[in-house]
Amino acid sequence: MTAASSSLPQGFEELEGFVPYWVLDSNDQRRAARSTAEMDDIQRFYDAIVARAEQAIVHCEQFTLGQMPPASERLFKLLLAMNHAAIAVEMHGEPRAFDSTWPSAVRITQGPWPHGGRI
Amino acid sequence: MSAVIEKPAQTPNAGRHVIDEQSFTHAAGLSTGPVSVEPYRSPAFFELERERVFKRAWLCIGRVEQLPQENAYFVKDLEIWKASVLVTRGKNNKIRAFHNVCSHRGNLVVNQTCGVAERLVCRYHNWQYRNDGELIGVPDQKHFFDLDKKTCGLTPISCEVWEGFIFLNHQSKPEVSLAEFLGPFGTRYAGIPYFNLDETIVIQADFKANWKLIADAFAEPYHVPSLHPATLAPGFAHPEQNRYARPLSAMAHGIHRHFSAYGNPDYVPAPTSKVEQLVYVQDTGGVLGGDDSGNAAALTAHPAINPTKDRSWSADVTWIFPNFNIDYSTGGFWTHEFWPVAHNRTQWTLKIYIPKTMSIRHRLQLEHYACRWAEVVLEDVTNCERIQRGLESGAKDTMILQDAEMLIRHSLHVLDKWVKADHVADALS
Repeated sequence: MTAASSSLPQGFEELEGFVPYWVLDSNDQRRAARSTAEMDDIQRFYDAIVARAEQAIVHCEQFTLGQMPPASERLFKLLLAMNHAAIAVEMHGEPRAFDSTWPSAVRITQGPWPHGGRI
Repeated sequence: MSAVIEKPAQTPNAGRHVIDEQSFTHAAGLSTGPVSVEPYRSPAFFELERERVFKRAWLCIGRVEQLPQENAYFVKDLEIWKASVLVTRGKNNKIRAFHNVCSHRGNLVVNQTCGVAERLVCRYHNWQYRNDGELIGVPDQKHFFDLDKKTCGLTPISCEVWEGFIFLNHQSKPEVSLAEFLGPFGTRYAGIPYFNLDETIVIQADFKANWKLIADAFAEPYHVPSLHPATLAPGFAHPEQNRYARPLSAMAHGIHRHFSAYGNPDYVPAPTSKVEQLVYVQDTGGVLGGDDSGNAAALTAHPAINPTKDRSWSADVTWIFPNFNIDYSTGGFWTHEFWPVAHNRTQWTLKIYIPKTMSIRHRLQLEHYACRWAEVVLEDVTNCERIQRGLESGAKDTMILQDAEMLIRHSLHVLDKWVKADHVADALS
């Protein structure tokens, strides 16, 4: 993929493949995405985003929260999704809590601002 | 029907483990035998709870910040009352509550969950009410027969506020005031500084289990190492010092109760947990912390919080009878509402009060905080639905509680008093 066709800021093109699945608008959607993904896919995303996390944070820090250009906002949403991937990789070693039921009645109906969402 | 077995069967000294610390259960004056599981599975007991507990107790339904300005209102459905409740902030900031029911033909007046309005209009025939409940407008009034608007206001619900928490009572003339209902808890926990009141993470579930099962899940830390091995145990237990996450204290305060949870003071994210390291706020001292240490210091200085002032403290769980928790931690506070729908169905709401997002890194920390919480409660809700199936199978008539589960025993003890007492004063004694 060339830089011109990337939906992410310049320099982060390598993360483009994760945009369709992991760039989501709310906390609850990101949680559902991780909970229903295959562990290999979560690990692949985790490895890629963690390797670039510090640089991505520094990039996003140029902008006022809630007022990022679309490409930077997509990168920020990948960083938000990184936390969910970490639950699987760093805590469980599987997509969600051992023996838990899914779909679950549990919903994050209001997440932190911005991009937390509200149901 | 009883929630308490009066004469428990006991096998004297047979394999009995002697607890070498102070017994919370004995100190609270509670018996130590098995307890009946009927209150968790019996539809008949559920109806007793509805009539004798939930229609006589003061119930917390929110905080004053949900009414941020004059003329603000919110509506809450209380399934246990089979009622829609309207709460308003009127002139002079007076907070009132009403049945959200039109005096004309019984329609629900307000159908928005919240808003700002001095006048509230039932859209069936445009009858108009002021937010103090008075009926002020009836279209084509002359064709009614002797209609006296003064007697046709919204039906008020008894409403009192304690420390910013709004409580309602279903009795038209409550037998006891909110202060009497809260008793020693209300005075002991008065004056706690609440902060971060404008932002919340909200986690909810409507699931298939008795309301007390989810309340019980937050009432004891004994299950933390086993049910939450990855999400909570590293911060709330210790492989040598406190393997079973024994509480630092657990006490009854009249009909209410608290326990103080141990926190592993040495906890730091594992070196392999790169994301947790990136977002973890070290100075909150707890993995459920959502705030910095300044606010926490004011909270922990209060005598009711962490009453033994133990250094290895993470959070206090307070359980206001029957169905409300206010929990205080080094990182702020959160509340639980456990709303019964049926003997085997519950609507539960967790509100976590958080600071306003200050930076990119702070926002990432809040995301981690929210998703850790959601994962913890996924473990709890999954578990509650399984317990419900286990109890409804009829395989067991009792459950066995250990000392760290004292709050559950106290809950059942108080519940038993309320369903048996003909007068609320007797239930409080």
